[in-house]
Amino acid sequence: MMRRSIWPALLLVILLGYPFVFSTPFQQRLGALVLLYAIAASSWNIVGGYAGQVSVGHVVYFGCGAYAAMGAYAHFGLSPLVGLPAGIVLAVAISAIVGVPTLRLSGHYFSMATIAVAELIRLVVTNTDYLGAAVGLSGPTVPRNIFDLSFISALPYYYLFLAVLAITLAITWWMTNSRMGFYLRAIRDSERAARSLGAPASRVKLYAFMLSAGLTSVAGALYAMMFGFVDPESGLGILISVKILIMAALGGAGLLFGPLVGAAILVPLEEISNSLLGGKGAGLTFVVYGAIIVLIARFQPGGILTLIKRQLERRAGPQAKDAQAVATGAGHAP
Amino acid sequence: MKFEHLLGLACAAMIATGLPGMASAEDKVVKIGAVFPMTGNAASAGIHAKYAIEVALDIINNAHPELADLPLAKNAGLAGLGGAKVEVVFADNQGSPATGQNQALRLITEEKVAALTGAYQSGITLTASAIAEKYGIPFVNGESVASNLTERGFKWFFRTTPIATDFVRVYYDFLTDMKAQGAKINNVALVHDNTEYGASVAGTIASGFKDKGLNIIDIGYVSNATDVQSQVLQLKEKNPDVVLMISYTSDAILFAKTMQAQDYKPPLLLADDAGYSDPAFLKAVGKVSQGVFNRSAWSIGPPGSPSAIIADMYKKKSGDEMDDTAGRQMEGFFVLVDAIDRAGSTDPAKIQAALKATELKPNQLMMGYKGVKFDDKGQNSLASAVIIQLQDDGETYLTIWPKTNAVKQPVLPYKGW
Repeated sequence: MMRRSIWPALLLVILLGYPFVFSTPFQQRLGALVLLYAIAASSWNIVGGYAGQVSVGHVVYFGCGAYAAMGAYAHFGLSPLVGLPAGIVLAVAISAIVGVPTLRLSGHYFSMATIAVAELIRLVVTNTDYLGAAVGLSGPTVPRNIFDLSFISALPYYYLFLAVLAITLAITWWMTNSRMGFYLRAIRDSERAARSLGAPASRVKLYAFMLSAGLTSVAGALYAMMFGFVDPESGLGILISVKILIMAALGGAGLLFGPLVGAAILVPLEEISNSLLGGKGAGLTFVVYGAIIVLIARFQPGGILTLIKRQLERRAGPQAKDAQAVATGAGHAP
Repeated sequence: MKFEHLLGLACAAMIATGLPGMASAEDKVVKIGAVFPMTGNAASAGIHAKYAIEVALDIINNAHPELADLPLAKNAGLAGLGGAKVEVVFADNQGSPATGQNQALRLITEEKVAALTGAYQSGITLTASAIAEKYGIPFVNGESVASNLTERGFKWFFRTTPIATDFVRVYYDFLTDMKAQGAKINNVALVHDNTEYGASVAGTIASGFKDKGLNIIDIGYVSNATDVQSQVLQLKEKNPDVVLMISYTSDAILFAKTMQAQDYKPPLLLADDAGYSDPAFLKAVGKVSQGVFNRSAWSIGPPGSPSAIIADMYKKKSGDEMDDTAGRQMEGFFVLVDAIDRAGSTDPAKIQAALKATELKPNQLMMGYKGVKFDDKGQNSLASAVIIQLQDDGETYLTIWPKTNAVKQPVLPYKGW
């Protein structure tokens, strides 16, 4: 038990100390972005990793949060923070409406249905003047008070995101150890077997979907507050769904810290390769970025974290391995 | 041991040669950041912007007495900073407002640029300039047209390009002149995509024209269309006097092809820059779009004129003809560097003051503006545009309006193919 709690504690120390070691504004912002995407990917992980329902339309819930935060400012002159709970309610409501019919679909059909819904909503928003249509909504660029959450330094964002990530992971951890978590893992491994043993599969999947959507909308709201702008492409574009999914899968879907590991690798990789190569105008960034993803997928399809875990387990011996596998649910990529 | 010594020496030598080099470079080089889309949907625009700025750098950093009317061209480097050279650090916004803002921050804090330019897409200009505003770094934009950019109460944001409200005036005056020459202009069809550009420009023109008593037919379509037959059929049925196209390149090409396929020729076809100015448009469908009118602030003057010389330099660098967008980006960059030169310093506040005091005459510009002078919001109050027409069998745009700039007479009705 002691050994197992060392790693999260070490991780926490690293995360708390990061902005002091890497203290330039760009490095601090990079750290904040890692945490932001880790929140989104961890939220996706609940339904995509633990429940094995690969949603490629999660950007809808991200967009709910982003639009609610910017809408609160643009239409009512309120702090974007006020929009955050509205975004959660909206995301949970939409996920319930979308989830009831689509969660019946299995495998690829569910993924396709989520993409279709996401694209549909993007097109509707693009043509809705109230939501800024194609122009988008912007937030307070010159902050009126601290509640506008418009800071020059990335440091306040960093610790805010860290706190939200901690809450997201705590909820996930609590869920995996509850009855629901066991149901979800059973459903992921074989839905038919789980149903035959009396697991309420439809209901549990829907709850996981709604929980995941609500948390994703928080990530969207935080994103919009940091960048002060959302438009259909940046708030509802399919690429954001894909980015979230890749981060979770790369780090280790279905593992508590998998999405964080994925974000910690991909976000700096993308930003730094863009910083070094982007200005040359040859599109090298995505070549390098894509190549690294291909390499990881080729050699470690279960995610980076499974690789690390396996190394640790090999040292700890066979007994610990069994305990670990039961406690976290051996991580399979979806 | 020996190897370690050698290594130590090599390191010391590198530091020794590196340090003084950097110190002397710092007071001789003015760094400016440029955020443009180098990848993604708008990559072509970003790469051409890069060429345009590199041509501008050549003009600024080397002596070009043949362009003496333009500020900064006559002698090498910036006279106001003891002949300092200008260096531009380019960054890729990847078509994302978030990446654009991250890169702007990096340029400000890591590269220590004195000022910024960019970022092509209005949404990205918005987020990138927001971070510049927070850090108090001047941001000069030469090409983004969304009107809200200069409505934010920013103190560090300046824009040289004409915007939608300027276009309304130009189009209305042009159409009124055409009416005097016998064309009908009562019914105007606005064909536009649903992007931020298409929707906002069409909206501004529609309300401006309605105020003047013109009848508007609104025909929208989804950008990157695969089929526009129904839109062209609609035009055929409504038969407007004027068709105004607000489209990006791929859609503009599709419309030209579909119009030919359905044998539809409006009496007067007017385009709002964008796709119709893209060299790719001329290559693909120039032959079947003869006589189309287009907005531009760029026109190649007679041989030997500054704009002709710049056009030539640009063609040598990029392999493409200079177009209006690249020209507006280049002009924005010139205005920024001119302000730094007059400020005589890279201190942001002094550059800001110099930008506010900018007063350039038409002969000091490469673009056809009436001048550059910023209003309280940072918008160039003298920005304007000319109307060009695709003549010479669909190969070249020639300036035909207003009369003072015209090199040819407008030809009506629309010829097509």
